[in-house]
Amino acid sequence: MEMELKVNQDNCLGCGVCVVACPVNASISNEVAGGHGSKTTETIMMVENGFIKLFSPEKCTKCGTCQLFCPTDAIWLE
Amino acid sequence: MCDYYTIIFKTCVLILVAIYILYVVKCVFNTHGVHMPKHIVSGLKYLTAVELIREGYSQKEVAEILEMDRSTVSHYLNGRNLSWNSIEIAEKITEFCPKDFLLLTYALMHEKARIIVKTCSNSEFEGIIKESCIGCGLCVDICLMKAIVLNDLKAQIDSDWCCGCLICGESCPTNSIEILEVKK
Amino acid sequence: MISNTKEVKARDFEISRSAEEKRELLYKDDICIGCGICEKTCPVDAIELGSIGAIVRTDADVPKIVCDDDKCVLCGMCSVVCPVDALEFKIDDEDIKNMEEYPSLISSAEINDETCVYCKACETACPREAITIARNLPERSKLVTGEIEIDKETCIDCGICEEMCPADAITMEHKLPTSDDPTVSSDIIVDKDKCVYCLICKKSCPVDAIKAACRSCSYGEYDLNPEDAETTGASFIDQETCVNCGWCQEICPVDAATVVKPFEGELSVDQEKCQACGACVDICPCNVLSFPASSASGMRPEKVMSDENYCIYCGACENVCPVKAIEVKRTDIKHTPTKSKSWDKKMESLKT
Repeated sequence: MEMELKVNQDNCLGCGVCVVACPVNASISNEVAGGHGSKTTETIMMVENGFIKLFSPEKCTKCGTCQLFCPTDAIWLE
Repeated sequence: MCDYYTIIFKTCVLILVAIYILYVVKCVFNTHGVHMPKHIVSGLKYLTAVELIREGYSQKEVAEILEMDRSTVSHYLNGRNLSWNSIEIAEKITEFCPKDFLLLTYALMHEKARIIVKTCSNSEFEGIIKESCIGCGLCVDICLMKAIVLNDLKAQIDSDWCCGCLICGESCPTNSIEILEVKK
Repeated sequence: MISNTKEVKARDFEISRSAEEKRELLYKDDICIGCGICEKTCPVDAIELGSIGAIVRTDADVPKIVCDDDKCVLCGMCSVVCPVDALEFKIDDEDIKNMEEYPSLISSAEINDETCVYCKACETACPREAITIARNLPERSKLVTGEIEIDKETCIDCGICEEMCPADAITMEHKLPTSDDPTVSSDIIVDKDKCVYCLICKKSCPVDAIKAACRSCSYGEYDLNPEDAETTGASFIDQETCVNCGWCQEICPVDAATVVKPFEGELSVDQEKCQACGACVDICPCNVLSFPASSASGMRPEKVMSDENYCIYCGACENVCPVKAIEVKRTDIKHTPTKSKSWDKKMESLKT
């Protein structure tokens, strides 16, 4: 029973905490983990036009870190 | 005009006659159908009784094994009380491949099929269990002949009862069962 | 046709097959630690480990493992290799752990009540809250003896002794004075079970109304019965929740706890790869992994630390690490012998 990464842009503040917290993102791009990387679609998710957007959800290992950090339940696994 | 009506009338009569004939044929075959399984069972029991007697069992013992009256056994052995071709059909059934023989006999007689199949089987089988057996017991549960037991987490096949149907091998999750035919 | 029946209760399940014998597999989700050893062992690939990281960290209402009852042949292997009794396997109502022909992992955790001093360190340290220590403390009044007397005629009901007493042994019945009884207290009582004869009341009384003497102090310990000073009690380990991690054994100051772990091995963390997400820390059933205290708020924690003394080499952390920074090796498996070659092979295959 594999879980899936979901986002709800209606809840998203565009704060980008999930992008920075995600350990997979960090291993893909250190700059993204530092919060000052240029836009890349290689990472699982990025903030685009003020909202979170999934780019490579297939890279997600379902560790739940993004959900733990998201202040508004805009990103979660189910 | 008149000819035209006659043709229609004759056609109708022909159709009615055809339907009647079909009906009669169906009824006749149905009656046979209802009794057929019983006749086959009698035939199979007959063959088993004859074989058991040949193996040296007494009539009393045969009656006990087959759960029948002694008098019926006696009748059978004298060739009475059997419909004309049931022995012939039963013989054909024993020549089926072991799985068909077992499944058909089991459908007719359930638990009692075991002794019939064991006695009338034309071959003997030996089961070899490979080291890969995990002792899940699925074969034990599935064997209609109750020929398999588990011993130290490994299946063990009793050659006396194995009928060579291969049903166990088909269900084995680790392909650990090999059934070999040995000469009788 | 022979087929399995499956019953699902919340996150638990029960798979059974009844024919020549009754075989049952029972799964308890709250005991499962997400190690996935069952998934690796299942000979028919019937078990699938879920996204345990997300399940454990977000408290999702999803079972940690699922078992396909169409595939399961009820062999019992998953139950035997489960290091924590989350999978129970019964044949005709008897647990296969009690059957000689089945191998079982050798593990145990015991507290010797002869040696135990009931300090409760293990109870506090146990990561699974599996230990309960029930202790009876000695009676204080038997450990220190003496005499105390308050001269109620001299006493001015000031309440200083009551406030000063460190053992709360003195109580006064405070009241408002009336014309009938113009005093501020109707009585002063000393609870001799609580009094430790420290003489603070005597020394602080402004009118010298208290006479007290401590026998222990002036005459040593002559009247102390060693039995009266003993803390007695009982220890209890819940074997169902215990994971045999060894915390109790390591922390016990008197070596009263003995733990036998079923696996031996090595745990290594690749500090280069680690992104300090904390998934392993959250999943570890034995509190092996932790982050050092953060130097300042807002700082990302340092890389993860581990102490193998408490590791059971279950591999849950390795399963959950999103960046494959953790490797768990099992070098030895302790189990009871079995005559079955295939079972022996499976047990040995737990080594990595």
